[in-house]
Amino acid sequence: MANSKKLGGLREMLESMYSVIALLFILVACVELCDAAAAVDVYRLIQYDMSGSPFGSRFAALNHHAASLHFPPGVDLSRTVLIIPLRELNITFVREYINQKKPLGGLLVLLPEVLSFKTGGNKQVHEKEKMKNLLAELERLLVHSNIPYPVYFAFENDEIDTVLADIKKNDLMGQPATATTGGYKFVIPTAEPKKVASPTMTNIQGWLSGLKTDGDANQLPTIAIVASYDTFGAAPALSVGSDSNGSGIVALLEIARLFSLLYSNPKTRGRYNLLFGLTSGGPYNYNGTQKWLRSFDQRLRESIDYAICLNSIGSWDNELWIHVSKPPENAYIKQIFEGLSNVAEELDLKVGLKHKKINISNPRVAWEHEQFSRLRVTAATLSELSVTPELLESTGGLFDTRQYVNETAIVRGVKLVAESLARHIYGHQGKNIQIFADESSLAVNPAYIRSWLDVLSQTPRVAPFLSKDDPFVMALKKELAGHVDEVNVQHETLEGIFTFYDSTSSRLNIYQVASVTFDLLLLLVLGSYLIVLFSFLVITTRGLDDLISLFRRPPSRKLKTA
Amino acid sequence: MTMFHFFNCAILTFGPHAVYYSATPLSEYDTLGTSVKAALVYLGTALVKLVCLATFLKVSENDGFDPYQELLKAVIGFIDVAGLYFALTQLTHRNISQNHKFQAVGLGWAFADSVLHRLAPLWVGARGLEFTWDFILQGLEANANLVLSISLAALGSLMWLRKNKPKTLIPIIYACAGIVATMPSITSYLRQGLGWHFPKVVGFELFTSLSMAFISWQLFSACQRPSS
Repeated sequence: MANSKKLGGLREMLESMYSVIALLFILVACVELCDAAAAVDVYRLIQYDMSGSPFGSRFAALNHHAASLHFPPGVDLSRTVLIIPLRELNITFVREYINQKKPLGGLLVLLPEVLSFKTGGNKQVHEKEKMKNLLAELERLLVHSNIPYPVYFAFENDEIDTVLADIKKNDLMGQPATATTGGYKFVIPTAEPKKVASPTMTNIQGWLSGLKTDGDANQLPTIAIVASYDTFGAAPALSVGSDSNGSGIVALLEIARLFSLLYSNPKTRGRYNLLFGLTSGGPYNYNGTQKWLRSFDQRLRESIDYAICLNSIGSWDNELWIHVSKPPENAYIKQIFEGLSNVAEELDLKVGLKHKKINISNPRVAWEHEQFSRLRVTAATLSELSVTPELLESTGGLFDTRQYVNETAIVRGVKLVAESLARHIYGHQGKNIQIFADESSLAVNPAYIRSWLDVLSQTPRVAPFLSKDDPFVMALKKELAGHVDEVNVQHETLEGIFTFYDSTSSRLNIYQVASVTFDLLLLLVLGSYLIVLFSFLVITTRGLDDLISLFRRPPSRKLKTA
Repeated sequence: MTMFHFFNCAILTFGPHAVYYSATPLSEYDTLGTSVKAALVYLGTALVKLVCLATFLKVSENDGFDPYQELLKAVIGFIDVAGLYFALTQLTHRNISQNHKFQAVGLGWAFADSVLHRLAPLWVGARGLEFTWDFILQGLEANANLVLSISLAALGSLMWLRKNKPKTLIPIIYACAGIVATMPSITSYLRQGLGWHFPKVVGFELFTSLSMAFISWQLFSACQRPSS
């Protein structure tokens, strides 16, 4: 009885011990902090499938040693992260590596700090054009190839520069990583990227209704001003697209503001409705614009007199292009073009006309106005780009940052569009009247443009990674609602050939590590230290004979037992 | 590999205690019980010390060396000596010679100190990917601490247990015990007051512990002579 009680008590005690041990393990797990030499924010190359074929960086997790470009020739890099600063980047080298599918543990491209919207600020970029071209070329290469290892971008800072200098030094000496010479291990603990389930696109539509006189039975004509707001770039978390199409959004908001001032007074309220559209899905053949237009009812669509799409108007010098898909002889096109070019002449600008026929059988939609043209609505795109961009190009890449955008260009673009619109609405065609003259109450507000441009230049806007009620989308809606009578938000799913994968940014931990050989050597030294200590203690306390007899004892004992 | 490093550092930190126990006659006379008791006394002493530190010490905002605070800390550090006194005199041991008693107490004392102060940082830090020399140095510090603890226990046993010792040696014994007992404060002063780096401090500790061990050994054998 007493025995069983004792046993029960023992069991209880053991059980309580188990819980204590479990708690201990939980504590130990919590304590698993990372105390890395440095931790850097990194942005992963986009990973997507187009019609089922894989593109971009196919992996996210990283746990490899680092090497610089100075690695000794003939070294196996399949378990090594290559770290390349942009200023040392040799595009032919990277192209060769990717095209020949050479094994690599990972690739980390260091972008200059000035491009970072967090720390770069408004610093000036040196060798602007050279860097832009290099980045564009790198982006084109990376976005259109299937890369079977993680590719990350990071911004240079002091921490990573010292690490890089150390790695370079070791590589030049041709030494393997050891504790004393500083081997570095790059670790990004991320789960495998998952598909973005049913990515949404959000179109925002603002309506500014014109003055309807009682005798007017017909519906008022409508003019649409449209800009696509989302971006696509090599690194989705860095794709801020200041020019493409941040400049278009800013211009649209400013035009909405100017006309809301005019339309708030019944005397200056025009006899045209104004429709403002901020559309999503721009990089994917203007998928969002298409859905938005399809959602219109027939009467509204027919009432649209013409649509002006704003695309990349933030970094031009003196010439803008009007892209149309109807021949220039068309009366409506002529009207739009003349309206704009008359104002342009007064503003000392040049406006050119580019005509590109649409091919209905080709799924590629290069310009936003082509979606309108496909539904037989007269439309034109105003852009600084003279050549038609390819798919997934000029949609807000790595270089498309605040530094490359010129505010005054946007101010002039806004003036051009607003002035020509106003002349059309109030019937002042061909007359030299400045409605939005500088210094007047209707002048274009550069501060407003600048502040919005700054906000947009800090907001990555890749549509699949923007949720339905993303703060940015809500902010845009709120801003537009402040200028127009009525705002509608339309959610659509991004259908079609694209599939996207998440984990666009994470944190890179850089550890200084010792090699296994070092630890083996250390074990050897410690072992001999303990043996020497043991022998010393035995000799001093018991004498040398004892030490010798220690080694003799086992056989004698065996003899005894036998 | 990181587990490997943890293993190495653990060997360096705790190995010498085991070696000391098995190599000296301590193992032959089965003095493990005494060591365990001494370790328990150490735990109690550490608790009392902690309470005292929390009660009397201000939390300093800056890492600078405040002489008054450090003096207080040194005084509180003498609680250690009281604990050691208790372990040496009050604990009823089995009939083991004084010679083995102080060794067993010193060993248990040092081992408890190592477990309490070094095991947790070792477990957390040395298994990480990041390599630092800190844990190897910490292991060396544990070695120095073992030597110091045994020296202090030896001096204590001379002071409190041995009755017939040469009169001339008594002040020297007390002075040495004082120096050894204030060692933690001295190293803390070197680290914070003089801004010594960890390797230098550990080197100093190793050197002083060895020299103090030598002196206390000489004293011990000097006291042994007349009795024998």
